[in-house]
Amino acid sequence: MRPSLALLRTTTFRLALAQAGVVLLFVVALLVYVYFATIGQLVADSDILADQEYAALERAYAEGGIRRLNQEVVERSAGQGPLLYVLAEANGAVVTGDFPQLPAVPGEAVQRVDFSFETTDAEGAPQRSRARGQVGRLLNGPILLVARDLGDSAVITGRITRVLWTVAILGVMLSVASGLTASWFASRRVEALANTARDVMGGDLKRRAPVRGEGDEFDELAEAINAMLDRLERLMIVSRTAGDAIAHDLRSPLTRFRQKLEGALEAPEDSRNDREALRKALEEADNLLDMFAAVLKLARVESNPNWRLEPINATEVLQELVEFYEPAAEEQGRTLRGEIAPGLIVKGESGLFTQAVSNLVENALKYTPEGGHIDLSAVRRPDGRIEIAVLDDGPGIPPADRDRVLERFVRLESARSSPGAGLGLSLVAAVARLHKGGLHLRDGLSNGEGKGLGAALVLPAAAA
Amino acid sequence: MRVLLVEDDADMAENLRASLAADEHEVEIASDGEQGHSMAANGAYDVIVLDRMLPKKLGVSVVRELREQGVSTPVLILSALHDEDHRVEGLNAGANDYLGKPFSTRELLARVRALWHGRDRDVQTRLQVGDLEMDLLARTVKRGGKKLDLQPREFRLLEYLMRNSGQTVTRKMLLENVWDYHFDPQTNVIDVHISRLRSKIDRDFAQSLLHTVRGSGYRLEA
Repeated sequence: MRPSLALLRTTTFRLALAQAGVVLLFVVALLVYVYFATIGQLVADSDILADQEYAALERAYAEGGIRRLNQEVVERSAGQGPLLYVLAEANGAVVTGDFPQLPAVPGEAVQRVDFSFETTDAEGAPQRSRARGQVGRLLNGPILLVARDLGDSAVITGRITRVLWTVAILGVMLSVASGLTASWFASRRVEALANTARDVMGGDLKRRAPVRGEGDEFDELAEAINAMLDRLERLMIVSRTAGDAIAHDLRSPLTRFRQKLEGALEAPEDSRNDREALRKALEEADNLLDMFAAVLKLARVESNPNWRLEPINATEVLQELVEFYEPAAEEQGRTLRGEIAPGLIVKGESGLFTQAVSNLVENALKYTPEGGHIDLSAVRRPDGRIEIAVLDDGPGIPPADRDRVLERFVRLESARSSPGAGLGLSLVAAVARLHKGGLHLRDGLSNGEGKGLGAALVLPAAAA
Repeated sequence: MRVLLVEDDADMAENLRASLAADEHEVEIASDGEQGHSMAANGAYDVIVLDRMLPKKLGVSVVRELREQGVSTPVLILSALHDEDHRVEGLNAGANDYLGKPFSTRELLARVRALWHGRDRDVQTRLQVGDLEMDLLARTVKRGGKKLDLQPREFRLLEYLMRNSGQTVTRKMLLENVWDYHFDPQTNVIDVHISRLRSKIDRDFAQSLLHTVRGSGYRLEA
């Protein structure tokens, strides 16, 4: 497709063409109106005037014969009025009047004539003028012509008409030109967006649509497209790295699994030894299955748009969770306390909500040293959203690593020794996103050695 | 106990059959939903174990139709889709229990036994195991005539253990039935709750009622 032709196909250009058509129609309508308001009126007036004069002269001829008529014509044509007269013999030879020759030949009956003639202007220069009137043969043959000089009025209306036509042509040209320009600009912006889309499809995921900073509709579109591309790129990176991470994380437990089975096979037959190897292999298999279950759950939370979000009595669920974990925390030498505001209703999916908070509590239990404290607090924030925070006085997470640990499979070096697949916090973050809320990591309780970790789950409240 | 196993995966079916047979059950196998449905409707089984994804007829439809026909045999649905929605759908269709894959053999055996033993117990208002008595209307627990003071959750935990007395109940069964939690806590949370309950019901008595079944769970038994 040639660019110039492409330009003619744009919506903007079609709109401009339509606009040019409207301008043209308007000018034609204006022309018709001006014609009837000026020339039309003038012609009608002069016809009446000429007819009356012709009738008056006809009466004079009837009363006083050719002599009287001749005299009247001579007198009247000498006057300053706008009327022109010619009296001629039956053969057409002019007797008297404003023209040396008959400007129009009469027919059998009295008829309307419209003719142009040579005259002189105020400075004596020759110019064409136009006249309109009646010509006819009187009784016994003489020819009488009475016409009105349309003169200046015709010139003026002619000019008006020319001006209007000029305006029409200019208007149409301007419309087409502005349409072409507008569509050229629009095409260029659209082309830039289309190029971006094509580049991204071609594999350049980093490519973004240009934003000019003019805040116009194209910028708005470009920004929306860029936001979409950012999200897509993140998802692609996440799924790509998740694939790598799954392969990587599965390799070590699978290798251990294989080693145990192989070792048991190669060792001399000893049923106690065999049973121990089988027990360990089973443990590894359970770890693997747990990891798969976690990956599947995360995938389901992230990819299934059909979760039903319903009002959940968060106060009750959280109190039950504290009650559920408190004995185990105490047994492990940690203090778990709940400070839960009454009457908190969250809009969410009950099972996922419970699991998300339980993940936070378990995370805190896992990383808080013996003697540590864990607080589960829940409040309604001033903005109406509900914040559920699990704070501990464990080692915490350095601020620089906080965003990273929310990604799946990310485990900090310090956590390598403890069990887990690095999916706990990613699941909480995914659940938060599903609920149109967020998971924020910050400092926790400051009474321990480290800064502690505070994990705040912010979720929308259900409409009361 | 006669168990009908409806499972289309032949390897899986054979493994399950062997495990159930080792637990002294008589097992018959159906390999698709329609066959499973007609066998369940015509045969006398104590428990039906039903895979959710079956050729010809889905497990959920099989249960629904059986219940409509008045067949009240306890049903356990096995599913790879251990999703809240699917679990609720299965239970609403009339299944008595729902177990997500993968599961351990012990978990399955414990649930099959619990289904069979638990089928008539819902209407009881008094439970008794040895000298341990529970009055479900007055919500009181006595052992040897002495009143025990239990928290509400401990009461529900003990109630579940008593309803399934003599049977092994797994941690997962306790989580689902006592707390209605459908995730696996990674700590020994359940064990601590059990040991607290044990200290209340067993400490002052010579005979222990609440036993730990190593590798599986717990059993309340006189």
